[in-house]
Amino acid sequence: MSNDVNNAEAQVDTSLTYGQVTQDVLAPLFGLSRGYLFGLTLALLGLAYGGWCILQQLVWGLGVAGYSQPVFWGLYITTFVFWIGIGHAGTLISAVLFLFRSKWRTGVYRAAEAMTIFAVMTAALFPALHVGRMWNAYWLFPYPNQRQLWQNFKSPLMWDVFAVSTYFTVSTIFFYIGLIPDFAAMRDRTRGIISRMYGSLAIGWRGTDRQWRHYMAAYGFFAAFATPLVLSVHSVVSWDFAMALTAGWHSTLFPPYFVAGAIFSGCAMVITLMLPLSLFFKWDRYINVWHFEHLAKMCLLTGGILTYAYLTEHFIAWYSDNPYEWGIFVFRAVGDYWWVFWIMVSCNCIIPLIWWFKKARTNLWCLWIVSIFINIGMWFERFNIIASSLAHQFDPASWTYYLPNYIEIGVLIFSFSWFFLWFLLFVKVMPSVAIAEVKELLPPPLKYKGEAAK
Amino acid sequence: MSNVKAIFSHLDCLVDAIDGMKQSGHSDFAVTAPLPRHELEELIYEGEPSPIRWFTLTGALFGGTMGFSLCSLTHLNWPMIIPAGKPLVSIPAFIVIAFESTVLFGCLATLVGLLYHCRLPAKDMDPEFDDPRLSDDVFGMVVRNLDDSTAASVKSALDEFGAVETSITGGKDA
Repeated sequence: MSNDVNNAEAQVDTSLTYGQVTQDVLAPLFGLSRGYLFGLTLALLGLAYGGWCILQQLVWGLGVAGYSQPVFWGLYITTFVFWIGIGHAGTLISAVLFLFRSKWRTGVYRAAEAMTIFAVMTAALFPALHVGRMWNAYWLFPYPNQRQLWQNFKSPLMWDVFAVSTYFTVSTIFFYIGLIPDFAAMRDRTRGIISRMYGSLAIGWRGTDRQWRHYMAAYGFFAAFATPLVLSVHSVVSWDFAMALTAGWHSTLFPPYFVAGAIFSGCAMVITLMLPLSLFFKWDRYINVWHFEHLAKMCLLTGGILTYAYLTEHFIAWYSDNPYEWGIFVFRAVGDYWWVFWIMVSCNCIIPLIWWFKKARTNLWCLWIVSIFINIGMWFERFNIIASSLAHQFDPASWTYYLPNYIEIGVLIFSFSWFFLWFLLFVKVMPSVAIAEVKELLPPPLKYKGEAAK
Repeated sequence: MSNVKAIFSHLDCLVDAIDGMKQSGHSDFAVTAPLPRHELEELIYEGEPSPIRWFTLTGALFGGTMGFSLCSLTHLNWPMIIPAGKPLVSIPAFIVIAFESTVLFGCLATLVGLLYHCRLPAKDMDPEFDDPRLSDDVFGMVVRNLDDSTAASVKSALDEFGAVETSITGGKDA
């Protein structure tokens, strides 16, 4: 990378012209490199193995999963919460930072938004897998059935249905609206049937003054809706636990703790995905160290909140003088699941501290490797919360030790492959950098230099 | 009737041209840009806010009311006696669903408003704007419904404002 992009003040190369931006962003699309095909093959192999595991579970029932009574929320719910959390950074970057007029979001927001949608699509598989009889999953949705029975709207699981489905719908609308002007650019740069395909996706967008006026107004409203929505979604997910009386779950700390964790893991996932993408597609003029450093700072902030939340919940458990509550927190640290706890603490609280050094957070390898550790740590955090609390409930006679078996690990592999497959398809058929928004960062072409446009 | 189409590669020339057209009384024009530029919107609409906000407000109010009513009415429809004096209609529990419905319907209504006001989806919109350069690096302008002599004068005025290309095309009823 050249020196100017390593400069923290460098955002987007301002010597670029509008035409160059369109050309650079659209250049890596469509063509298939060897590395890309390798990634695609890996994803398909993962899907094949995971698909076989899901088929086993469909045929034989939930018994093939490694549940051990009374732990019936295991890897599936852990992975559900993990993927919902991953999605949060996308909305944070695209909506919250849009409202704050933060410039560094421009390069990364499109791919982060796509990540949100694919992460929610991945998460949405898990309630269906978890309930076992997935052909009845539509019972989750409120509709008057034959006996005029409705769901219990006081249940946090029902809130989750509303939160996650609203989140998916709103994120998809926001993503698509952002893409319309870029689809129009692709329609105009391609020929034949491909041009017609993008033409239908661009639904007749011409970029007229009237269209831009309403577009910008609507975009602001979508961002204003998405901002509280993203905070509510992980709060609702945390209530799935916090509303229960289970020791280790029943805490008012959960919503902010989960939201901070979600943004922490999501920003790390953006680094994990976007760093190789910007290098393979030679987009260092659009996405570079400057963007990744900001993401790393976001991780430092949310990771700090998370560490504080870990300390608080342990302190409160001790201070409450409730033997069950304190018992579970001691059990997490030194009991059967000590290794899960210490993976979580090392990956989430200790390893990211290296990013306090500017040299570390501007080094691409260090950024990428630490971001992967954070992803691992955040998965284990959810496993730590879910499995340890259930395996060690109030009655010592029912204590157990749950570990996921090969079927559940297969489903976990399926979820990663499914997510990466969508992402790989996305980067080849849609512009992963927002063309129109990057152009907004450039100085407009003026005939009479020095004289600002009126 | 004819239309005059002009292509600008500089933003300041386009701004001057819009100003010039407004001052000479030609208000039936449209401008395209490959990116949103607030100065264009300010100049053309003079700060008048987009009516989309009314769609957003209506959708959000409907969603909130609908979400809360769905929970309350279904629970009242099957009124189970709950011990410990717990209410059938529980505001803290139902506010979550009411909030999610507010956001969902607010967004859906904003989307409807956006499509309606942008006249999307559109199949054949302004043949003058069917130009691949307009989504790339130039700005376009079309002044519509001019008689032949005015069209010629508008064309030369746009040339003077710095358009890199101007042409007279047939109007809609030509």
